[in-house]
Amino acid sequence: MVQALMVSNLAKQFGGLRAVQDVSFTVRENETLALIGPNGAGKTTAFNLIMGFYRPDAGSVRAFGRELVGLRPHDVCRMGVARTFQVAKPFGGMTVLENVMTGAFLHERRCEAAREKARETIAFVGLSARENTAARDLTTIDQRRLEMARALATQPRLLLLDEVMAGLNPAEVDQAVGLVKKLAARGLTIVIVEHLMRAVMALARHIVVLDHGQKIAEGAPTEVVNNPEVIRAYLGSSAAA
Amino acid sequence: MRIGRRRVVVGALIALMLVLPLAVKSAFALDILIRILLFAFIGTAWNLLGGYAKQFSLGHSAFFGLGAYTSTLMQIDLGISPWIGMLAGGVAAMLASLPIGWLCFRLRGPYFTIATIAAAQVLMLIFLKLRDFAWGAEGTTIPNLGDAPLMMQFDGKLPYYYVVLLLLLVALAITAWIARSRLGFYLVALGEDQDAAEAVGIDVPRVKRDIYMLSAFLTAMAGTFYVQYIYFIDPQTAFNFSISIEAALVSIVGGVGTLLGPLIGTLLLETTSALLQSWLGNQAGVQVTVYSVILMAVILWRPTGIMGYLAEVRERRRLRQGIA
Amino acid sequence: MLEIVAQAVINGLLIGGIYALVSIGVTLIFGVVKIVNFAQGEFVMIGMYITFFLATQFGMDPLLSLLVSMPVLFVIGVLVQHFLIRRVLGLNDLPQIFLTFALSLLILNIALMLFSANYRTVHTAYSDEAFHFGGLYVPVAKLIAFGVAMLLSALLWAFLRATDLGKAMRAASQNRDVAQLMGINPNRVFAVALGIALALAGAAGSLLMPFYPAYPMVGQVFVLMAFVAVVLGTLGNVVGALVASLLMGIAESLGIQFIGADSGLIVVFLLLLATLALRPSGLAGGHTR
Repeated sequence: MVQALMVSNLAKQFGGLRAVQDVSFTVRENETLALIGPNGAGKTTAFNLIMGFYRPDAGSVRAFGRELVGLRPHDVCRMGVARTFQVAKPFGGMTVLENVMTGAFLHERRCEAAREKARETIAFVGLSARENTAARDLTTIDQRRLEMARALATQPRLLLLDEVMAGLNPAEVDQAVGLVKKLAARGLTIVIVEHLMRAVMALARHIVVLDHGQKIAEGAPTEVVNNPEVIRAYLGSSAAA
Repeated sequence: MRIGRRRVVVGALIALMLVLPLAVKSAFALDILIRILLFAFIGTAWNLLGGYAKQFSLGHSAFFGLGAYTSTLMQIDLGISPWIGMLAGGVAAMLASLPIGWLCFRLRGPYFTIATIAAAQVLMLIFLKLRDFAWGAEGTTIPNLGDAPLMMQFDGKLPYYYVVLLLLLVALAITAWIARSRLGFYLVALGEDQDAAEAVGIDVPRVKRDIYMLSAFLTAMAGTFYVQYIYFIDPQTAFNFSISIEAALVSIVGGVGTLLGPLIGTLLLETTSALLQSWLGNQAGVQVTVYSVILMAVILWRPTGIMGYLAEVRERRRLRQGIA
Repeated sequence: MLEIVAQAVINGLLIGGIYALVSIGVTLIFGVVKIVNFAQGEFVMIGMYITFFLATQFGMDPLLSLLVSMPVLFVIGVLVQHFLIRRVLGLNDLPQIFLTFALSLLILNIALMLFSANYRTVHTAYSDEAFHFGGLYVPVAKLIAFGVAMLLSALLWAFLRATDLGKAMRAASQNRDVAQLMGINPNRVFAVALGIALALAGAAGSLLMPFYPAYPMVGQVFVLMAFVAVVLGTLGNVVGALVASLLMGIAESLGIQFIGADSGLIVVFLLLLATLALRPSGLAGGHTR
């Protein structure tokens, strides 16, 4: 089995703050991994490091056998890695269709082909009704769908989803979980950063737990959930707050 | 607007612009028309970088001046026709845009803007000092060859009108083509959100560089035209900051990131300016005061400019019709 | 030779104090409100004209006129924030850049219409006086200007560190959302920031009058210096702006001394471009956004 993503000894410091320290984990192809941990654990930083928005101080990131460290985000995307942002970043002035076309253009040079691919992807995430709506006018859940559609349009092999469930009501969470399951069924390798344990349990077969930038646990959902370190990390931080 | 109807409207507009000068008798009015087309051209060139990609340069006078000086130097020192000089000036500006862009794009937002201002000012200062190479602060006139089309000099203003009209139509055609192409999407995307653009595979630094080169090339051509039109060049004129301002201003008022925004903006501003001049004479400060009031009004109430406002109106009407 | 260099350094340092007042205002506004005030130079100009009229109509000494120019410009700052800046907060770069830019053009050209381009000067008892230290020549007016500038800078620094409002401003500068959650009213903080920044600009104007002419375009020179100092000193960093301004004053002065009378501007621009090329985040590091 090919390693879709191999993160080794990743480290990043901002001034005095060690955001990520010696983090290593592996994701197998077509697996869904969840990256969890209390606030400030370094999860989004890890995503930024993988995508090339920050350069790690140490460590390596290999996707499908190719080293990603040192590449700019657009090159990482070309390698087949796509992400959504925790706070949605739509191209506000463009319509939903135009947003997704921008992603589709990575592999489709011609406008018509890009439009076709975009329409397909938009239908897949269930946004067809809003195709011609300006992105800035969308509801939260629709903006999440848009983020996903735009990332999918780049035809990734590995998808990084950053807290897609945040701010959704229970019905919407179910829809989102369903969508991610559909993606996994299509063969995509997925890494999700998530706070909502319900979604994590439903989607991930493998979980990595971060706290204060370090990996404190890893394993199947049932193991991790009962791990005393993990419990302490969550409860400990809420007790201190 | 549906495609067929749009083609008719565009065709009619072009036809109008072609025959308009024939109906105009006074040289003064023709001069105004030429200035309108020239600044619409410069604004359209600026709009590619500043309107679509939202990289607000206030240093485009650098390229205007480079174009003007390149063609003039080639003409006076080497006897080469300004038609070729115009293209050479464009290339010179393109090449200059590489180091200037490399420096300035290291900053974002308003600090990018300031850096572009600084770069343009440096260029002006350099040319003010280049006495031996390029006539220094006094500048030079270009020899009047009478009617010499091959050297871009004409008797009467009419031919100049058609030259600048051609330049404008070329710029508009390029803009229209880009806006519908992959590059167009990429420009707007990076203008909206650079990080998100990178995340979908857009090579943002390269796109910025490419559009900057194109914008510089076109702006330089305007510089050449202007020298040929007024038969004079000096650093204060060729690298004047007001060129940078007007290039941005017409696009903002008319609507950044739209095809016709710069043209509409120029029409509004230049006619206002001409009217002001005839009413109030040339008193110092009046014209720019009015410009700045217009600019502030646009920014406070209609930041998307005239074209943006029209688009909103159309959208509202469409929604109302859809419901009704 | 050493004497010539020392003299140039002194000259540069003294004018650098004025640059500091202007650039601190710009960096304060940028840090707290996240807006670049292109019109900062025009407020210096307003300060200069206020002082000019107080001096010619009432015989008021420029130093005394600080008591007028600073409060007046503080109020103008609050008004600008309330009526103009507030409306473009949260929009993207374009409205923000061009609003203050348009404001700058507006003020400059109104001044041009009202006062014409003529130079106005104020002559005081000490305008021509100078101290002599060894072989060095230190003009009194400039020394006073420098002294007051440093005093005001120190007061501002103390204000930012020690008072609640000052701390609120620093908090808003670092993280607007968190500051708002903690109950800090952003509009009030922004208004104070604008007020202080413009008051400093006005002070610069008053301090300049004894040895510098007032004319509509005068602000452009100072604002340019201010911007370069702000970038060099790292965006939003008040101390950085101060230090950078002093350095730039010295650099400009050395340039004028050793390269040529009108090379001051080129030296400054080259400094800016060099900073961009080598260390875009300025001397104090930090972010370039």
